[in-house]
Amino acid sequence: MRLQTRKILDRTFAGTGVLAIVLMSAALLILLTPIFIRGAGALFFTGTVEHRRLMLEKFDRGNRKQVEAEIRSAQAAREPIYRTIAVFDQQLAHGDAKERAKYKKPLKELKKALQDLLGPAPGSVRPMLMRDQYGQTRWDRAQIKLARVLYREEWDYSNPTKSGVLLLKSRAADFAGTPIQELFSYMEKNLDQLLLPRRTLYWQFLTDESFDSHFFGGIWPELLGTIYLTLGAMLLAIPMGLIAAIYLTEYARESRLLNLLRTCISTLAGVPSIVFGLFGLAFFINTLKVSNSKSVLAGSMTLALMILPTVIRASEEALRSVPRTYKEAALSLGAGRWHTIWNVILPSALPGILTGIVISMGRAAGETAPIIFTAAVSVGKPLALWQTLSQPTPALSWNIYNLATEHEAVDEVRHVQYGLVLVLVSLVLLLNLAAIILRARIAKRMRA
Amino acid sequence: MTENVKTMNEMRRDMPPLLLSHSARRRQRIAAAVGNGFLLAVTSLSALAVLFIFYFIARDAWPFFRLEGVREFFTSVRWYPSADHAEFGALAMFVGSGLVTLGAILVAVPLGVAAAVCLSDVLPFSVRQVVKPVIEILAAIPSVAYGFFALVVLAPLLQESGGPILGVAVWIVGAPLAALAIVVVADLATDRLRDRTRTRVRWLIVGLLGVGAFAALAFAGKALGGLQIASGANALNVSIILGIMALPTVVSVSEDALQAVERGLREGSYALGATRAETLVKTVLPAAGSGILAAVILGVMRAIGETMVVWMASGNAAQIPSPWYNFLEPVRTLTATIAGDMGEADHVTGSARYHVLFLMALCLLVFSLLCNLSSEWVIRRTRKKTGG
Repeated sequence: MRLQTRKILDRTFAGTGVLAIVLMSAALLILLTPIFIRGAGALFFTGTVEHRRLMLEKFDRGNRKQVEAEIRSAQAAREPIYRTIAVFDQQLAHGDAKERAKYKKPLKELKKALQDLLGPAPGSVRPMLMRDQYGQTRWDRAQIKLARVLYREEWDYSNPTKSGVLLLKSRAADFAGTPIQELFSYMEKNLDQLLLPRRTLYWQFLTDESFDSHFFGGIWPELLGTIYLTLGAMLLAIPMGLIAAIYLTEYARESRLLNLLRTCISTLAGVPSIVFGLFGLAFFINTLKVSNSKSVLAGSMTLALMILPTVIRASEEALRSVPRTYKEAALSLGAGRWHTIWNVILPSALPGILTGIVISMGRAAGETAPIIFTAAVSVGKPLALWQTLSQPTPALSWNIYNLATEHEAVDEVRHVQYGLVLVLVSLVLLLNLAAIILRARIAKRMRA
Repeated sequence: MTENVKTMNEMRRDMPPLLLSHSARRRQRIAAAVGNGFLLAVTSLSALAVLFIFYFIARDAWPFFRLEGVREFFTSVRWYPSADHAEFGALAMFVGSGLVTLGAILVAVPLGVAAAVCLSDVLPFSVRQVVKPVIEILAAIPSVAYGFFALVVLAPLLQESGGPILGVAVWIVGAPLAALAIVVVADLATDRLRDRTRTRVRWLIVGLLGVGAFAALAFAGKALGGLQIASGANALNVSIILGIMALPTVVSVSEDALQAVERGLREGSYALGATRAETLVKTVLPAAGSGILAAVILGVMRAIGETMVVWMASGNAAQIPSPWYNFLEPVRTLTATIAGDMGEADHVTGSARYHVLFLMALCLLVFSLLCNLSSEWVIRRTRKKTGG
């Protein structure tokens, strides 16, 4: 080969490596950007008067006088709409049967769309479901609902070779020639007066319970559930892992048994997380019967088992990295083996052990599969500490899955899903950040 | 270091006196034995957990053989667990798991090994310090967040403009590769020729191959660009995400393997006049080969055991794509089936429907055990060979 070609190959080779790393970082960025931006939208958004009404009525938050004035002003702006519809209703009731039949369905659909946007019409019966009691609390959702009021969706299946095409039919055209026709342009122009959008910081998203299957409210039960599960898992995994690590590094002599133990531990690390979930169900719940059904306790035990190998490995590594001389010095001073471990080796290995523990904490907080059958439910109240022994809990990770796939109106609670993901990812990233900082400090101290 | 280590005075205070009475010594010996035994017991407990897992999964998988037999499970693709005449053919799930794992490996291994080589041999230390946290964060992000991204961001994107994206991707990946290959081929083919004719022949070859490659790329790009993806929740989507999730494992394990190759080997290669690329490809990578194999195995384990991403974004259709390598069709994996079906099967504990899920878990467990043992064997063999 020519030297030139070899040079080109060399450059490309290095370039490919750099490209791979750039791609990897880009993947991370592409993944995190929507999560952070849209996740922040769960806490910081443009809220409508309906949001403030909800806060006032459910939590007694906000300035009562001011909010009530706003509600009145919005009602004044909405009044012409409801009046026109009422007049039209009257007209139909007294008009001929043909007209009535023609407008019956469109009018019903329009009223439903209006209720979705603005909440129940004044004077109507208070609906059962909370999602029907309030209009759109978020401005971005309100825009979408306005489009539903202005246009109705129709699917065109006329071409049998292709899938259906979505057509938007203007409702104004449906009501052409009636007083209602005017309403649509009125609403389009005056939507901000109907809903009074304002920038809102809803930090209570983190500490509120959810209402009406996450249509309203926050994610406190999920957050608390994740905290319980994680702390419970750490409570069980840390002592066991630490003891095992101490035994493996300080006590055990190289032997067949030790090799077997090590193989077992690394096999445990490779067990798929869903298998842990099944094991938790079959062993902790069905065999040991730690609780009658799913519970935080059973979930914590399953998670603890899952992170045990990580804790053991990290602690082992930290214990091994303590310089031999420390141990020798302690032993030469007459300290016993246990004293050496307790007073010399453990304190100097502590930061390294903590790093491993913090990382496995992040792993326990984020795992979903092991808790599906052992601890997680979709909707629940925040638990008191003693209830964790017997009751299941919602958890961040499980509810992300649940809201994104099994919720009855996936699109309507998109902001809650993003909020959950944001909180979970931030939690895990904060834990990892702590680990990175811890390790940097160790490295600094080692160099010094 | 000193602040954490107790001073000598403190230690002396904490310690028992050096000379002990007979009974005290015996007591101490017993205490030591008990302590030792306790430590061993706890350690064994955590190690034996894996045996417990095997036992309990197998115990609940066993009744399935009695109820339904074994042939149908491994050979049939008919999965109708809740029908009157329930059928439990899991072949489609095996194929689905295999397919997404294959896809994940195709994404993770080239990228991961390239990144590992770059990290260990090309980049300066300071850059490495920046890249390391990126890898750690990729590894730390919960799988359900990856799944959410796959479902909510990637799937609609693929569904709406998957064809054009694939078409462009072919060009981006293919064009540089083709150019490189052409240069090398032209070079190798004309190595033996004399100076005058050499240049001409080389240009001839470059021209011919260039036109051919361009035509091939244009054809592939157009074919892919015109594709309509029926559903964004398919094997391709999941493969990409699983590949990204397996990346950190592949990168860090193969980087360790590359670092373990001794300096002398590299220096010898450089001394013989090899470029860095030649040194790495011909000397370092072969020497680290088994370590990289171990990295691939661990990557496979990560991909095949992953639940949330495939459950959320693979489409969950219990079918074998046709043809089998069609990544644009929805698939269903073993893990997703376990997660998805247990909710219903749990109420009927003891039915074949319940036990079949444990059988699937057992298959996963056995597979991960085999992977683990083989990767350990590979690493141990390397250690022996390099004498480290």
